[in-house]
Amino acid sequence: MFRRNIIFILVFVFFSTTVFAGGGWPQPKGWGFFKLSQWWLISDQHYTDSGQIDPNTTSGLFNTSLYAEYGLTNRLTGIAYVPFFSRAYLNNTISGTTGETLIPGEAINSFGDTDLSLKYGLTLNKPVAVSATLTFGLPLGNDNGGMAGALQTGDGEFNQMLLIDAGSGFQVGKLAAYANGYAGFNNRTNGFSDEFRFGIEAGATFANNKITAIGRLYGIKSFKNGDLPSERSNSTSVFANNSEHVTFAPELAYNINEKWGVSATYGVALSGRLIFASPSYSFGVFYKLTR
Amino acid sequence: MKYLLFFALIISVLPGCIGDDIIMDETPEAIRILNPLDTIGVGESYQFEAMFTNNIGAEENRPIIWTSSEPTVLTIDAGGLATAVTKGVAVVTAAVELADKPPVITQLSLVVDEETVVSNNDKSGVLKSTSSYNLQGNFTITENNGSLTISLSDDYQASTALPGLYVYLGNNPSSVSGAHEIGAVQVFNGAHRYTVSGVGINDYQYLLYWCKPFNVKVGEGEIE
Repeated sequence: MFRRNIIFILVFVFFSTTVFAGGGWPQPKGWGFFKLSQWWLISDQHYTDSGQIDPNTTSGLFNTSLYAEYGLTNRLTGIAYVPFFSRAYLNNTISGTTGETLIPGEAINSFGDTDLSLKYGLTLNKPVAVSATLTFGLPLGNDNGGMAGALQTGDGEFNQMLLIDAGSGFQVGKLAAYANGYAGFNNRTNGFSDEFRFGIEAGATFANNKITAIGRLYGIKSFKNGDLPSERSNSTSVFANNSEHVTFAPELAYNINEKWGVSATYGVALSGRLIFASPSYSFGVFYKLTR
Repeated sequence: MKYLLFFALIISVLPGCIGDDIIMDETPEAIRILNPLDTIGVGESYQFEAMFTNNIGAEENRPIIWTSSEPTVLTIDAGGLATAVTKGVAVVTAAVELADKPPVITQLSLVVDEETVVSNNDKSGVLKSTSSYNLQGNFTITENNGSLTISLSDDYQASTALPGLYVYLGNNPSSVSGAHEIGAVQVFNGAHRYTVSGVGINDYQYLLYWCKPFNVKVGEGEIE
């Protein structure tokens, strides 16, 4: 579940980085956006099922990924998120009294769960761009790593998600700005609960089109129609099925030139259920393919 | 630009290393008499046994000093063998000397009378959550034919939100290192039992509930 959230976070981060694409806007035919990213999250605390924060053994998740979107037609964009290297680890637990290692840490490295999507533009050249995105989440990661099965780079389930985006570009003074919102349904298999996903974001480009600042707020609400977390001890993600969160994730992108740029994102869950309560970070280099 | 990329690569790779989490697992040293007695018959002998657990709750073989408060009523030798002399009451003390600390002791009031009466060793306790996850209920522990029966009562409740909730018998409420793992929790509401073999009823001080995959303590019940 947590892994799925992470993938979602990543996908949405990358969507937004293009500014002129993502959200309700499909890529024009022959145009593309490609991004190599490093994302990581280290957490020694989590939101419990009552929304309070409890400690846990420090756990890290670390992804190197390639994100690509390409305009197949002016309405249809193919999208792939491929975490070709994913690492999950747990820290050693050391006795503060004796200095002995009580529980040795462990780590796994593998390919991660991969998302393949098709985005279809429902409106073109309208004040409000609306699109529908169908995503297939392929369980290519490890969902049962480590001695206790607690290390995952994937959730072990094939999911299908349909999102509807609506976005609009506008001027704020001399600034080129945009806003976008989305809502969708994630159908999950293998005993995982289905999810309602939602989010809003707004961004603006300034400094001679060199810098884009984006603020986004998004979340997941579980339908809780799957297995109980206690029933999935060896096959679930970090903090089980039925996790929920509302996350704030600002991002800054720097356009080196018309083709190349870099971006950095910080994400923090403002509230949650059964999910890590620590910030995530990412850094990426992107390339825009235009004709 | 290349320096920026190099810096970004370094700061993104470093977090992938396994680090150390240091837990504060110190607990008071303790000594317990494993086979207590209520009454001993005049002229009879009884071999007491005791267990010392150190500052992390691990059993440790230390010299135990046995004494009787009333040697005219009850004598006890260095090995813990008590002999009833005459009717009366004596307090048996088992002590372990500690460096730079007062000795740790336990005491047992023992009646010397007509015949020997073994103590009722049944234990009980109350589970309480030490986390934000629900855990509550009363429990009793009885010993029969060398195995323990831990009975959780009707008011027992445990959270179903955790992957891998396990139950342990332990002597350190801050750690399950060295604790006896009973098994994964299968019942989250209502009365049920665990049968545990190879463990004495006085061997452990706590019933512990732990999220094993992430080493998160959920709650405890002190065994009384």
